[in-house]
Amino acid sequence: MITLELAKCSGCSRCEVNCSFFHSGKIGRSGARIKVVKIEDIGIDYPVVCQQCQERYCTKCPEKAIEVGALGQVIVSPTLCTACGACELMCPIGAIELYEEIPLVCDLCGGDPRCVKACTLDAIHDEADVSGAVSLKDFKKSSRGLSPEGKRLSYAMTLSRELRDSWVAERRG
Amino acid sequence: MLHGYGGHILRVDLTSEQIRREKTDPDYMLNVIGGRGLNSTRLYEELERDCDPLTPENMLLIGVGPLTGTLLSASAFMTISGKSPLTGILGDSAAGGFFGAELKLAGYDQVVMTGRCEKPCYLYIADDHVEIREASHLWGKDIWQTTAAIRKDLNDNAVQVAAIGPAGENLVKYATVACNNSRMCGRTGMGCLFGSKHLKAVAVRGRGRLTVADTLGYLDLCRELDQKIMTHPEYKKRNALGSTLLMKALNGIGILPTDHFQQGLCGYVDRVSGETLAEKFKVKNKSCFNCNLHCSRYYLSGEVEAEGPEFETLCSYTSRIGNNDLEFGLKMNAFLNRMGLDSLSSGETIGWAMECVQRGLLTRDDFDGLDFTWGNCQTVEKLLGMIIRREGIGNLFAEGTRSLARHFGKGTGEYAFHVKGLDMICGDPRGIKAFGLTYAIASRGGDHLRAEPFFELTERYDEAEKRWGIREIADRLSDNGKAILVEHTERQALLTDCLTMCKNIGLSMDMLDFDFASRLLTAGTGLKFTPEKLDDALKGVIDKDRKMNIDFGVTADQDTLPRRFTHEPLKEGASKGQVVPVGRMVKQYYKAKGWNDQGVPQE
Repeated sequence: MITLELAKCSGCSRCEVNCSFFHSGKIGRSGARIKVVKIEDIGIDYPVVCQQCQERYCTKCPEKAIEVGALGQVIVSPTLCTACGACELMCPIGAIELYEEIPLVCDLCGGDPRCVKACTLDAIHDEADVSGAVSLKDFKKSSRGLSPEGKRLSYAMTLSRELRDSWVAERRG
Repeated sequence: MLHGYGGHILRVDLTSEQIRREKTDPDYMLNVIGGRGLNSTRLYEELERDCDPLTPENMLLIGVGPLTGTLLSASAFMTISGKSPLTGILGDSAAGGFFGAELKLAGYDQVVMTGRCEKPCYLYIADDHVEIREASHLWGKDIWQTTAAIRKDLNDNAVQVAAIGPAGENLVKYATVACNNSRMCGRTGMGCLFGSKHLKAVAVRGRGRLTVADTLGYLDLCRELDQKIMTHPEYKKRNALGSTLLMKALNGIGILPTDHFQQGLCGYVDRVSGETLAEKFKVKNKSCFNCNLHCSRYYLSGEVEAEGPEFETLCSYTSRIGNNDLEFGLKMNAFLNRMGLDSLSSGETIGWAMECVQRGLLTRDDFDGLDFTWGNCQTVEKLLGMIIRREGIGNLFAEGTRSLARHFGKGTGEYAFHVKGLDMICGDPRGIKAFGLTYAIASRGGDHLRAEPFFELTERYDEAEKRWGIREIADRLSDNGKAILVEHTERQALLTDCLTMCKNIGLSMDMLDFDFASRLLTAGTGLKFTPEKLDDALKGVIDKDRKMNIDFGVTADQDTLPRRFTHEPLKEGASKGQVVPVGRMVKQYYKAKGWNDQGVPQE
């Protein structure tokens, strides 16, 4: 699973760029399965990506097009998927999103995640055996009605509080 | 199919609200490349030369490079161009951040705006959907508030916004445009131009994806550049401090502007250095789109938090105006970013006033009772508010240093440090001769970025001999061969601007040469950008800029420096005794360019 050391992230979006390029040969945030949320007023840059959550909300796919792979990654069947958007709606953090009628979600690049390689600040890691460690239950209710971008923002806002507090403590005592 | 490029030019007439999308013409782009080259050529072809910069006839252009938004490191910039309200000649300014890449993803290489909105408005571009939206509710808001409000309006945090603050609305001549809160198009008053068109912001969202022509070849070239950046001898320092490393570096060679260029040595440099800033206030690195240097920084000080500052702002609000309080500099950085005011030009007006008072040329009574003694932070803060609101004496300061000195006369013009109306940057040219020449001839006025001849600071004597056959080119104190260096790096700088790439990486770190760029552009766009073709395009744009400036009234006698830098030797430090022999350097430069002795390009 992709994990993050938030304090090290500069928000450069190299993870996004390389994710999109690896998966499609094209470059653009819309084609990326990891998306950096920028909260400029408080200096936070937060790459949001599938957390392989305990709840696995996205697998409640009406077409049964989504299953979990050996690495804990989400696998979308292109033949079963009807692009109904249920997975996008279900995910509380905006980590799966339709683009050109295909649900895009982190597949760990088959075990060699390009975002990890692309990060020159060592902020993104691929950790084995942490699949299912994260619960997103707390985000489920508050994410209702939000767009994927809105969900990512709200998730990043919540999870960056600790870092913000540490900055304030460090710099303003 | 056109690769790399966005594929469209967007034309918006703000008066008639007519919006038109044109296809980008590959043959045309081969001659102008993109970014600043594209903008300059558009102005050259379409701008009414004698228009008043603040009237609807003036054009407002936003250009991005052919490879911006792709895998290429540090190609994040966008360039805004138009006839400068501050100088009356060619105006343009570039900024990094994320706006340039987003515009590209929306499918555009350039936005061409003319006319003037009746009411305050902002332009919203979401791929094919382009609309002029009302912005009365945003008028009066600062840049950070505006950015946040537009994102809220559009219910999309990923929208990129380039906005002006109150300074631009009030037509302060050196107002800025900013994206990502802190990435400034700072110079030549492009924010004032926005304000004159009642344009509060341009917001853009691009959901497209970019392709390149030779995918694997391009990937290899980008990886090669990444490696060169990561293994550069200055990588660590630049990553940690960004351009603020120049505070100590320039002081070390005796050219750090102190008390308005009266000295090149600053006794309290350790209190206001990039190192101290990093140690006491920095909390993390920040970055522009797809850069692996991450040279920007986020800081928290006692009162404020913001991204930055870059060296020019840090120096302008510390040593240049005699202020040894770093926290005050940081506070002003955040304030200027919010309000949309250029730190260099505003800093020069303050330095000028302080020196005029020191010399007894002007007194408190000339300045609404403000006390302009060196480093008086209260005065600085109060004055900036007055400039932004154009209140009292601030109304005169809002016109820029050249205009201020003309107003007061009495010999104060000798201390107005500008070239062609653009206030000089922080770097005393007396100890860096090629930079001195650059300020004198730069097509937007007193500025280093038009050539950024950083090579003269590197002491790479053998490399200088190899490249140009003149060893002294690597000696910052010699003027020998500097015209040749500047002629060369001026093209390299323009190339960097055409790619809307970062100058720190392209030029200062010496990453972009013509051969490498031609391979990158060819692999990226599929167009045949040979080194010869590139060179023709670059020389063509430089000549067009010059011809345009001549139409605007620029003459050879304006290709010079303020008297201090040509006649008063530096008194101490590692550049002691130096001045810039600018007259002969400019003549050599004209010759290197193939221009006549009046600096006029020949057919």
